[in-house]
Amino acid sequence: MPAFLTDMNPGWLLILAGLVAVFLKIRLLRQAITIAAPLAAILLLATAQHGVDHLTYNALGIELSLYRVDSLNFIFGFAFLIASLLNAIYALHTDNRMQDGVALAYAGAAVSATFAGDLMTLFIFWEITAISSVFLILQAGTRAAYFASMRYLAVQILSGVLLLDGIAYVWHYNGSLSLEAFTSLDQPGALIIFIAFGIKAAFPFLHNWLQDSYPKSSVVGAVILSAFTTKLAVYAFARFFPGFNELIWIGAVMTIFPVFFAVIENDLRRVLAYSLNNQVGFMICAIGVGVAGIGNPLAINGAAAHAFVHIIYKALLFMSIGAVLYRTGTAKASELGGLYRSMPWTALFCIIGGLSISAFPFFSGFIAKSLTMSAVAAEGVTDPAMIVVWLVLLFASAGVLEHSGIKIPYFAFFGRDSGKRVKEAPFNMLLAMGMAAFLCIAVGLPALVPGLGYQWLYGLLPYPIEAAGYQPFTLEHILTQMQLLILATFAFILLKRLMLYPAEKPGVILDTDWFYRKVGYGAVRWIDTVWSKISPATGAVAGRLAGRAYDHMVATFSPRGVLARNGFSGGMTLWTTVILAVVLLVSYLTS
Amino acid sequence: MTEETPTVRDTSGRFVKRAATAVSAMSRTSDEGVHPMSKVLFGWTEHKNIGAILFWVFAIASVALVLADLAVDRHEKIGFANSVGFYGLWGFLSFSFVVLMGWPLGRLLRRDENYYGDAGGPPGDIDPDLPDAPAGDGRGKAGGDA
Repeated sequence: MPAFLTDMNPGWLLILAGLVAVFLKIRLLRQAITIAAPLAAILLLATAQHGVDHLTYNALGIELSLYRVDSLNFIFGFAFLIASLLNAIYALHTDNRMQDGVALAYAGAAVSATFAGDLMTLFIFWEITAISSVFLILQAGTRAAYFASMRYLAVQILSGVLLLDGIAYVWHYNGSLSLEAFTSLDQPGALIIFIAFGIKAAFPFLHNWLQDSYPKSSVVGAVILSAFTTKLAVYAFARFFPGFNELIWIGAVMTIFPVFFAVIENDLRRVLAYSLNNQVGFMICAIGVGVAGIGNPLAINGAAAHAFVHIIYKALLFMSIGAVLYRTGTAKASELGGLYRSMPWTALFCIIGGLSISAFPFFSGFIAKSLTMSAVAAEGVTDPAMIVVWLVLLFASAGVLEHSGIKIPYFAFFGRDSGKRVKEAPFNMLLAMGMAAFLCIAVGLPALVPGLGYQWLYGLLPYPIEAAGYQPFTLEHILTQMQLLILATFAFILLKRLMLYPAEKPGVILDTDWFYRKVGYGAVRWIDTVWSKISPATGAVAGRLAGRAYDHMVATFSPRGVLARNGFSGGMTLWTTVILAVVLLVSYLTS
Repeated sequence: MTEETPTVRDTSGRFVKRAATAVSAMSRTSDEGVHPMSKVLFGWTEHKNIGAILFWVFAIASVALVLADLAVDRHEKIGFANSVGFYGLWGFLSFSFVVLMGWPLGRLLRRDENYYGDAGGPPGDIDPDLPDAPAGDGRGKAGGDA
């Protein structure tokens, strides 16, 4: 392979292909590019040498490492490329140059950021993900999507600005922008970068950009958005903040609170957005437990494995509800039901996604979440606080089953018959869903042939030797997991029979966005109203004051002014001396 | 011109219009849009007692899984997790708590769909054959099924 190709960050290939796609009017050629680019990028990645700076560049005295692969970023980048391929196939029924191009550019930016070898390169592609993804929300073409995209952009840019601010601190104090992990939040720039990553990971109280924007984007856009931004943040945390205790508790809270919102949410794409929040919580918690290299590699493996399988099964769930939205025009649970009659293949794939995310044995979620749960339980032996975290994660596991394993398939495809009789999803959508479903099962199976099944994924993890020593398919593990899930499912059946399960009702569920969409917006409107009422009076006063100030300036500085006259020793000399003295004084005080 | 369905008698001597019944069943309005694979994959869900059947299947499975705990020697790192049926009980209670919390939370947090004034409609890239599909404006334009 030519050297320029082996040194090329695979993400750049996607970005270049995306730029071409935006201007390419020939649909067939454009769609061929959207599929070929991720395939070529996977090939580039597969042949890349690990632990080497493939491409460096000196800019403004900063040595940038533009492409570096190692055991941690490999699995994230690989998952992003698979998601990009699935997204391209899912979008084949559309003829939308902008969406095709931006989807590739967005995926490419996420891949490029993942393989960045320094903080500044990470920042550059971090920002490109923010800007490119906005167009996917705008593609919905609705007024609600427009306003959501502006709120989304503001939050994403805030994250970028904080990241740049933190990088400036790191550069100033360390003189290096390497990918070295922080050891404490007290280090220069660490806390600011932590918050910047936290915004993208949708930490509690910083999370609502996700539930606000993803469900309002286009059918295809929501599938694409689900894969990249939050998982890029997860990677960034695994890279820079492994073993930070704060992440354990933040992650634990993230697994719990979305569960309660999801149970009362009517919009199934919004339910999936809450579910995404919950799943990222598991990963963040695992990163908090894990200490790269010396501590608990099981936990870091858990976070990476969870990110990989999550990208695929979450895309599958978004694809299936996207297919329902495409055919029926709605994703609201109160308007759906009984669709298995019209869309049985979509229903089947959705169920496979639900079984995977719920971590049923022999599905991908099981072999990934087991790593995290085992790591947290192992920490619980020496730290009683970790027992609480373990119980919280176990509670959240039942919550995942509720909203993603049961609620999504049940209310869309079964339950009360909505009477909607539509066509099955387009073939390309079914193909993408089928491929994702295949991966969910293939990765979750025991390794009947060594190296396949779950062992294939474990071999890609950051600590493959430790992963090889972990056995998820033990009798006691399968038994306890089945107990948890089957009795939770029995609770659902029982509550339905007793009519204690809350009915799906149309409406908006208030969340933290209420503070800026209602209180903040209301405050701005109030200030605007008050200002418009008092501005005539204040305008006259301000005009008179400005006029007097202008007259005074003219009287002082104009050719006929005071300073132009011959004073006792020359006004200019005096003023120059005064200003110089002030400058010197300020310099002395601040140095 | 319609071809009259030939009639036959069953063993009791009653008339049976097999072909007419089959054609009628296939053309009923309620079955329009039903995918042939739906019967294969999910036909079992249409059983009239499916609710009761699922209830008892899961009830028996739950009891069996808890009883299986007696036969399996577990070595949990967290002591109390070794108790018989711990995972099942935790799953049942957690799930029930989440669902039951939906009642007060729904009353507390649910507002009208236009609460923020921008409820909006479906995105622009839904099926163009749908009656309420937005007019094509270049955004989300669908070119038919691939």
